[in-house]
Amino acid sequence: MSFVTRRNAPAFLALFSGPFLWILVFMIIPYVVMISVSFWTRQFPLFVPDFQWGNYAKIVLDPQYATVVLRTLKIATIVTVVSSLLAYPVAYMLVFTIRSEALSNLLYMCVIVPLWVSYLLRAYTWKIILGTNGALNSLLISVGLIKEPLSIFLYNQTAMIITLVYIFIPFMIMPLYAVLKNIPRSLVEASEDLGVGPFHTFLRVILPLSMGGLVAGMTLTFCLSFGDFVAPVLVGGPDGTMVANLLQSQFGAALNWPLGSALATLVLLLVLVVLQVSSRFDRAGQIDLR
Amino acid sequence: MAFKKTAATLAVTASLLSQAATAHAGELNLLTWEGYAPDASVKPFEAASGCKVTATYVGSNDDFAAKLAAGGGVYDIITPSLDTVPMMQLAGFTQPIDVAKVKDYDGIYPEFAKAEALVAKGRIWAVPMVWGSVSIIYRPDKVPAPDSIGVLFDPKYKGRISLWDDKSAIYWTARYLGYSNIFDLSDKQLDTIKAKLIEQKSLTRKYWTSAGELTELIANGEVYVSNAWTGLTSKEVNALKKGFSVAEVTPKERAEGWMDSMMLVTGSPNTECAYKFMSFMQSPAGQCGIAQSTGYFPVNPKAVGTCMDETTRQERKVGNIDFVKSLVMWQQPKRLDKYIEVWNAVKSAP
Repeated sequence: MSFVTRRNAPAFLALFSGPFLWILVFMIIPYVVMISVSFWTRQFPLFVPDFQWGNYAKIVLDPQYATVVLRTLKIATIVTVVSSLLAYPVAYMLVFTIRSEALSNLLYMCVIVPLWVSYLLRAYTWKIILGTNGALNSLLISVGLIKEPLSIFLYNQTAMIITLVYIFIPFMIMPLYAVLKNIPRSLVEASEDLGVGPFHTFLRVILPLSMGGLVAGMTLTFCLSFGDFVAPVLVGGPDGTMVANLLQSQFGAALNWPLGSALATLVLLLVLVVLQVSSRFDRAGQIDLR
Repeated sequence: MAFKKTAATLAVTASLLSQAATAHAGELNLLTWEGYAPDASVKPFEAASGCKVTATYVGSNDDFAAKLAAGGGVYDIITPSLDTVPMMQLAGFTQPIDVAKVKDYDGIYPEFAKAEALVAKGRIWAVPMVWGSVSIIYRPDKVPAPDSIGVLFDPKYKGRISLWDDKSAIYWTARYLGYSNIFDLSDKQLDTIKAKLIEQKSLTRKYWTSAGELTELIANGEVYVSNAWTGLTSKEVNALKKGFSVAEVTPKERAEGWMDSMMLVTGSPNTECAYKFMSFMQSPAGQCGIAQSTGYFPVNPKAVGTCMDETTRQERKVGNIDFVKSLVMWQQPKRLDKYIEVWNAVKSAP
């Protein structure tokens, strides 16, 4: 079946030439440029066009890059798992537990509203909460749990994880809420009518049907936290450097765009692998409801 | 209704256009350091010259090249330190200066005006602006007067130490380890320094990337001791009156000296305003303005004769060019790339 026929060709062009141009100019050409620059050579004070694999070799051979990539993977994974464990019950409660539609909508809005506030501001707020003289320490001292303020909350990887979970959790709740809301109540009722307890109804009916939202949320959260560079700068400590910070420094202080491009290309490949894996899971979770 | 809307749009467009036109008549975009464009001196300059000043701030000398390489057409004047001036010229980011157009250029310390780093191909590439040192800042109530860089490596202050997120961390460690060839270290020396800095990471609360961040770290009680741009952070922290004060000290391994100068960006459409600004910065208002807003030292002793009292003149080493000799003046490392790579490796390490 062909979508474009002689008759609808002008309409087709009018409709799709804009988006196609956009993708070409803002996605495809930049990727081509990035990949070409990754083969250039750094030559003080700048860099020169070239074709050589040195930048990739450096990234593979110098352990500092592997350290940072593994650290970033670790943090992104923890953030994704923690977010899904926190987000699922919230979405479930909004859809199934709360009977009042108005209350459920209101609570859902509360989840979304933080997205309207600048990311930077929200990350910065955690500095005020977690700091040595911050809100958390004041609270712990005032209830008598500790005598001296603790400095373990801020400027380390835990602080980064807390901040990233807080910032990206709406991206987990939104798709989960959408899929849970679309599950026909009749299926849940049927399961209950057949004498299956609530726990098994969840495990055998609701969870499989919500896989799509869960995978979408996890993919979003993983990719967003994998590419984050603000949390390490604001609340991370000396051991908080992530891949995006390395990229930033190659395009900034080190002025080594070729190495930076090679690193960016590898990150792109990694993200593509993640997307591939997640789409597998997504398909596995698809169940025909007709 | 539709007509009204069109008319309104036209009126807005016209006013925007006229604004753009007047702005074009005189504007000046600075890429510079915190405190270098204080309202107190920018406002009078704007009034006198008709040039509208916009300032963007950098956190380290490496930011200049990064910003200009990404398309420098936006900036007219940059103010890199002595060690970065040659690289700006080599990369073609800046153009030579016609010193005849800079008023009171002759008043600048010749040691600075004719400094080796500012001269290339028989031309002058930068006009000195302000100078100072990098020393140790500390809280006397928590750290008894340190006399050595060793305090930044002292496990006693674990979790309360900070360091500037900059390649100069290598210079500090090199002096601590007793190396004298700071700007031409061997691979073996750099390896030792890297290991030392990685070991020091567990003592560090956070690396600071701007004077504002260091001020916040100290003011919030996160950090007790760090290296710092002498004058600026101490002034800011002490002004906050947090119930403690900070002091600064020159370690026995010597402090670092730097001098920032103004360079004219290649292809700048605002050279007239740029020269007006360079001249203004050599005037009493310019020199005293920047000295006051930063706590740094003026480069033009003649200019500050009228606007600085005797005590301040002594504090700011006016006429005391010998002080320079007590400092390790920054130079561009022979192998700049290697230094930046080592510093990045330190930051990436676990």
